[in-house]
Amino acid sequence: MFSFRRVLFLAAGLASLVGAKSSTGNSVLVVVEPKRQDDFSIFYDGLRDQGYELTFRAPKDESPPVIEYDEAKFAHVVILASETKNFAKDITPQSLISLLDLETNLILGLSTKQTPLASLAPEFSLILPPPGTPLISYFPKREESPSLIPITPSKYDATEILNKDLPPVWFSGVPHAFGNNPLLVPILHAPAESFASEVDGGSADALVDAAEKGGEGLWAGSQLGIVTGFQALNGARVTWLGGVDLLTDELAQREVSNGVKSGNAQFARNVAAWTFKESLVLRIDKIEHHLVNATGPNEVYTTNDQLVYSIYISKYDPQKATWEPYSGIKDLQLEFTMLDPHIRSSLPPVPGAPGKYSTTFRAPDRHGVFKFVVDWKRKGWTYLHSSTTVPVVPPRHDGYPRFLSAAWPYYAGAISTSMAFFLFSAIWLAGEVQHGNKRAGKAGKTE
Amino acid sequence: MPPKAVHSSSASPTDAFTSLWKAYNDNTSNRLKFIDVFLFFLMLSGIVQFAYCVLVTNFPYNAFLAGFSSTVGQFVLAASLRSQVNPENKDEFREVSPERAFADFALGSIVLHFFVYNFLG
Amino acid sequence: MLSLIPVFLLALSAHASLLAVQSPRYTVTGAKGSEVQAEPVSLAQKPSSPVALHGKETLKLTFQIVDKETGKGVQPHQTFLRFYDEKTNEEGIQPVRVTPGGKAKFELNLSKPPLSLPPTPDRDPLKVTLFIGSSVYDPLSVELFDLILPASQPAPAHPQELTFHPLPEIKHTFRPENKQPPRLISAVSVGIVFAPWVVLLGLWSQVAPRPSHLFSPSILPFILSLGAFETLLFRYWIGLKLGQVLLYGAILAIPTIFTGKQALSSIANHRLGRK
Repeated sequence: MFSFRRVLFLAAGLASLVGAKSSTGNSVLVVVEPKRQDDFSIFYDGLRDQGYELTFRAPKDESPPVIEYDEAKFAHVVILASETKNFAKDITPQSLISLLDLETNLILGLSTKQTPLASLAPEFSLILPPPGTPLISYFPKREESPSLIPITPSKYDATEILNKDLPPVWFSGVPHAFGNNPLLVPILHAPAESFASEVDGGSADALVDAAEKGGEGLWAGSQLGIVTGFQALNGARVTWLGGVDLLTDELAQREVSNGVKSGNAQFARNVAAWTFKESLVLRIDKIEHHLVNATGPNEVYTTNDQLVYSIYISKYDPQKATWEPYSGIKDLQLEFTMLDPHIRSSLPPVPGAPGKYSTTFRAPDRHGVFKFVVDWKRKGWTYLHSSTTVPVVPPRHDGYPRFLSAAWPYYAGAISTSMAFFLFSAIWLAGEVQHGNKRAGKAGKTE
Repeated sequence: MPPKAVHSSSASPTDAFTSLWKAYNDNTSNRLKFIDVFLFFLMLSGIVQFAYCVLVTNFPYNAFLAGFSSTVGQFVLAASLRSQVNPENKDEFREVSPERAFADFALGSIVLHFFVYNFLG
Repeated sequence: MLSLIPVFLLALSAHASLLAVQSPRYTVTGAKGSEVQAEPVSLAQKPSSPVALHGKETLKLTFQIVDKETGKGVQPHQTFLRFYDEKTNEEGIQPVRVTPGGKAKFELNLSKPPLSLPPTPDRDPLKVTLFIGSSVYDPLSVELFDLILPASQPAPAHPQELTFHPLPEIKHTFRPENKQPPRLISAVSVGIVFAPWVVLLGLWSQVAPRPSHLFSPSILPFILSLGAFETLLFRYWIGLKLGQVLLYGAILAIPTIFTGKQALSSIANHRLGRK
């Protein structure tokens, strides 16, 4: 079905060919109800322009499976079937978690209905409101229903993931409150004036009672999230969408104000780029450690040595699909650890060597088995871990300083004894030996 | 000539010391005195090094031990040489001739100096 | 009497169904019920000084929501107070109970603070805003005043949260270097160590036996071997390694033993022969 807008988008896509690729794979499975499949064509085209291959599947279909024989069949999975209560047996909350263990990235859509995904969300420290209470906001005044809200990204939303100056995004769906989990990466927050409530027939008293109930009684305000990412410790990324409507063509083309198109299409592309590991992806290329004036690493270092540690880091460039050295990390730290960090210093980038971060320090005067540990975790970025074990030994018996000025008298004493012995022996051997003592002088006079 | 009366009625420690010194001087042979001077020299040398260690610094402690024990060890070896060479002790050391004593002394000293230079740093 | 209301939002549609907030007033009462402060809230401009609460005081806020045209009281769907800390981005939303006649009353009792208050560990001023939303009227947002609350516990942080930020630097304190005394003192001490030589040489000149046999061929080689040994040991101190010195020492031991036997037997013969 070639409609005019699809041709336009395809042409735009062809113009910027050499599509960006993900750093972990191009196969994407889209799980969507067949009757809604065509609502997201702009989203699909956006993905195809980036070079992804899409496979579609209904929630209740058995094939293609997401996971087979403990292997992930796709690099990324998008579940847009946000209102399906029964999936096929290979999509369960447990199987989605095992997909994350296999480093598959996910985009999961929620809705006001209670689905298996809604029972999985609390595992990620996302607290959903009761079913049937979408996010509504009476602000700003507009003609659309209160449950369709234009949201302008603020400076507290993920500015590294979203484009700058993104136009307002149309949203319709459920909010979620955050638990206390540092692995969460909030991408878009709800507006301050919004709250979760039934669309029609919600009463003011019910809201006040819900708030007085305490705990999570009331979902309201800008502390709620509507699109939230989560980066697991093994690097797999998940994005939870409060509602899949923000990926639909209809909202992508709706205007937010006169002549200004919504930012939905761009927003969807940004979210997909982050989740599918195109943007904010780093890796460690190489680690070097050596003594200050040496080139190669030592097997063993001595206490009080001056050590140099260097690490090379690259960032994935989705436009060129290559890894380029990256010197933009400002707060990389190195720990020299034996059970506890003995030294923690910053690793500044080396000017003139792109991607290289280096520091020089003096090994502690404790001996033992130490580790060079780099453990860098920041919201939204890949976690960088590296640990290199290196023994530090006390100086060998001939590694100590010799011929010190403080010891001159002792050297003099030893040499003096030696010379005196030699002189003594020479005179002793060379002297006359008389049998019987030779009495000195004054012999014969007794008193 | 009648012997002169040397001592007056004042008996004092210095007199004891003087008579000890006189007896030592008269009764020891030159060879033994030769060794005794060596012993005295070693003692002085050891005292100076010890005083330096206590008063100034004992920092390269191994150097202090080496220097000090070179004097002490040499003192011990020389003292044993003296007692073995002394004709008055001939009955004690029936199998040891003075040459044998000196050979032992020389060997012991060489080994001592080896350890001292090893430890001197 | 309708007071003038600032309306924040976008230009309005033809059916101007507007709400108005009438006679907003706040009261601060002390713990024992004595009034500390009571003032009407000016909607035209924000008050210049924030309202400060201390100890166990109570803040009471009352106002009425009316339809701007008819003047009748209205109970809108959403009447929220937003407490927002601009510095830390912490926020608390508190719904206000409104009677069907539009009378609204909110009480903030510090001895039992509502759970929705954001934490204020540094006593930052909280911006207090009133949101009124309804499906039949235009929405209304009014900034009321700044509020300073007593210091509270900070928001609880996840135990791993610290590892997501740079951690403080740790420097290792090394053992202090061994200080050496001034070289002058060491040099003077060297002189003092050599001082006993004066005593040695002086006294030896008096009691030493005459070295008459010094250059006899049986004795001199032994003396030279001993000298060579001492020199070897001195060189060991300067530069040789253990293996080398043991090797050289073993080599040197052979002539030393021979010359030693020779020298000592000749001395013994002299001693016994003279007898």
